[in-house]
Amino acid sequence: MSGKMNSIFRKFLIVAFSLGIAGTGSAYAKDDVTNVSTTDRAVDFAHNLDDYVPAKKNYNFYFTYKIVHPWWDAVALGMEDAQRKYLEKGIVITYEYMAPEAASYEDQTKRLMQAQDGNYDVIGVDVADEEKISPVLDKMIDSGEKVMTFSSSDAASGCKRIAYVGNTHNYQDGADLTEALCEKLGYKGKIGILVGSYGAPCHEDRAKGAKDTIAKYKNMEIVAVEYDMDSIDKAYELSVDMLKDNPDIAGFVCCNMSNPVGTARAVTELGSEAVIVGMDHDQEALHYLKDGVIYCLGVQDCYSIGFDTLQVAVKIADGNLPGELFPDKTDESTTIIYQEDAEAMLENLYGDVSQ
Amino acid sequence: MKSKRITEKTVSVTAAIGSVLIMLMIIANTYWTSKQAISSTNQAVAAVSAFYLESMADRRAKTITNLINNNFDYMEKAVSLIDDEQIDSQQELRAAIGRMKRLLSINRFALVDEDNIVYTQYTTYTGGSRHSFLVNETLDEKMISTVFIYGSSKELCLVIPIDIKIMGKQFKACFVQININDIVDLLAFDDQQSTHFALYSENGGNISETELGPYIGTKNIFDAIKGNVSEEEWNLFRDDFANGKRGTLILNISDVVDTVCYEPVPDTGWELVVMIRDSVIQDQIQEISEKSLAASHMQVVFLLVVATLFSALLFYLIRRVAKEKLEEEKEKSKVFRSMANTDSMTGIRNKHAYLETENQLNGRIREGLIDKLALVACDINGLKYVNDTKGHAAGDRLIKDASDLICDYFSHGSVYRTGGDEFVVLLQGKGYDNKEEVIAAFNKKIEENIKKNEVVVSIGYSTLSSDDEQLYDVFERADHMMYDRKKELKSMGAKTREFDEETQ
Repeated sequence: MSGKMNSIFRKFLIVAFSLGIAGTGSAYAKDDVTNVSTTDRAVDFAHNLDDYVPAKKNYNFYFTYKIVHPWWDAVALGMEDAQRKYLEKGIVITYEYMAPEAASYEDQTKRLMQAQDGNYDVIGVDVADEEKISPVLDKMIDSGEKVMTFSSSDAASGCKRIAYVGNTHNYQDGADLTEALCEKLGYKGKIGILVGSYGAPCHEDRAKGAKDTIAKYKNMEIVAVEYDMDSIDKAYELSVDMLKDNPDIAGFVCCNMSNPVGTARAVTELGSEAVIVGMDHDQEALHYLKDGVIYCLGVQDCYSIGFDTLQVAVKIADGNLPGELFPDKTDESTTIIYQEDAEAMLENLYGDVSQ
Repeated sequence: MKSKRITEKTVSVTAAIGSVLIMLMIIANTYWTSKQAISSTNQAVAAVSAFYLESMADRRAKTITNLINNNFDYMEKAVSLIDDEQIDSQQELRAAIGRMKRLLSINRFALVDEDNIVYTQYTTYTGGSRHSFLVNETLDEKMISTVFIYGSSKELCLVIPIDIKIMGKQFKACFVQININDIVDLLAFDDQQSTHFALYSENGGNISETELGPYIGTKNIFDAIKGNVSEEEWNLFRDDFANGKRGTLILNISDVVDTVCYEPVPDTGWELVVMIRDSVIQDQIQEISEKSLAASHMQVVFLLVVATLFSALLFYLIRRVAKEKLEEEKEKSKVFRSMANTDSMTGIRNKHAYLETENQLNGRIREGLIDKLALVACDINGLKYVNDTKGHAAGDRLIKDASDLICDYFSHGSVYRTGGDEFVVLLQGKGYDNKEEVIAAFNKKIEENIKKNEVVVSIGYSTLSSDDEQLYDVFERADHMMYDRKKELKSMGAKTREFDEETQ
């Protein structure tokens, strides 16, 4: 019975997503977060290539992203799906999809420089630090490279990169998650904020959205803002410290994928009743959501980000620019899910809720 | 102990109760046999189901094991072939990997270098977080794991450690991913949908996405069967999964019985579960069983009918035999009684009968119940003379003639031969009323017989008087009168004993 329901649920998500896309198809740069009800779609696995006919039979891309992390593994799966579908049409796409073990603009700069020396049709980058990386991208464009940004973080405004595919509403995601937390707490209490990597636009934007939201309520106070550098262990340590420094802390806003896992571990261990809101679909985080330790999670559609990134890369490789074929910013959705959605999401993403 | 007489009713009741008991025993025996047959059939079905499933699960588990072992061998050979090639660029490496992937007909064939960079036919990616076997820095032995592809299919991942250098880089692992749906196809289970199977993780999650029957479907098997088996069975089932053990479970859901057999697939952490609905085998057996039962029922009904008819016949025969025996006994008794009271020579009542009658009459006389009774004492004249002169045969004829004569005249009386030549006639009712005329006629006849030299009988009679206490009193008077008559007849020429004695 639950398998059947799950199948219906998936189909419903797909239909809902399709309708959502149809409704927002012309909005290339939509800044509003898709903070929708729990029954709406979170991740869409049913993709087909659009009608665009690639000019070549072979493409070779290079993608680099912030850090080796399951979040980008999900993006990779969307890319692989698109690659297979192109292959079915006789178009061979090869690519590299590389990241360092720890987020670093220096490492990313080095990788981009090496990629520039390779024979790639398009170079894609998930910007580790917009301030440091954007100039690098401009130079690459100036030297004739076709550069795009993708997944979680775009380059700085005014950067010459050709296009961006990914989350365009990180600020709103942070604001919406925090709004849910404030409502849950009755608009009062002390809040701790955990961010990912310094300078990572997506993380910083979400943190800013969180801060601005809390500032609206006079009875709420931010007691700490800490960066875990995308490490779960670090997030745990920081959360423990925050809880020890502020035993009456009422809630946490977690701005990346590792934050909510580390915070949930700390809250559980210390027996705190602090309410946690966070980002993404880490399996452990989903289990905490299922168990009620985490209040809600903002799940980005990584799979679609990967799929669309490859489609846009093919168009860019053929010399196309943002316009009718693809927007400057291809928006991907974020869905806030709650405890009642956790089991279905675990099954959807990881195949087995018990695993 | 006083023996009780067995009556016809006793025999009938005993026979009836016996028949009912026999029938009840036959019915009870039939019922018990039927229950036994059903129980035996169910046991046979369960045994056949379990045997069938165990065999099936075992074969299929071995198929998966063979698949894994074969793939490990292929991977070793593939790596060896790649190592033998002169690969100087990533493009050449991708082409080599592509050839091996096609050769092995699998989803993903990949090599991993010392920096955890994964090389496949079309992509090169950092795989540290994506592949669990890369958590450890070094890989010492073959590994088997299940990969849950984010939102997609589930795959079997086989990893072998390797030690080769390509393009100056050290490679540490080779892995393949096999879509579990392909494994499911390989298992080629029956297409009649009578047998269901699925692969499960040790946590009870369905990883083959095949439906294990309509009730369990693709749900977590622990969740699905909870409540339908005992707590003990459920815990044992979970433990078996956790410890990679085999077993059998009987599920009874809404009166539908399913036999579930589970077999661990070595090294994978999977349990292969096969389920068959008992009704499938039962349907096969049922037709035969029903025919057999129908035949048994017919036999029992036939037996009951035969037993009933036989019992009825037996009952009838016993009753008839008993009745005939009774009649015979009555008849014999009557004959014996008749023989005891009848004079064998003349056929009239004898002295024994007279004494019985006398005894009965004495009682009635004493009670004053008789007012009209006459007794005639008779004696044959000249019997000794005939015996002596003409032989006993002639004497016997004389007795019979005398008897006939007496009976002829005293036809309304009871005639008794009380001695060799003595007779007594008792007269009551009409015989009493006509006694004077009859006696007169008799005496006249006798007197004529004297002249004809035929049988002469002297008679005397007397009637019951109020003073008489017993019949003998009447007899005495009649006897006296008889002697007087004898004298009278002697005077008329009749032979008498005295005469006989005198003439000798």
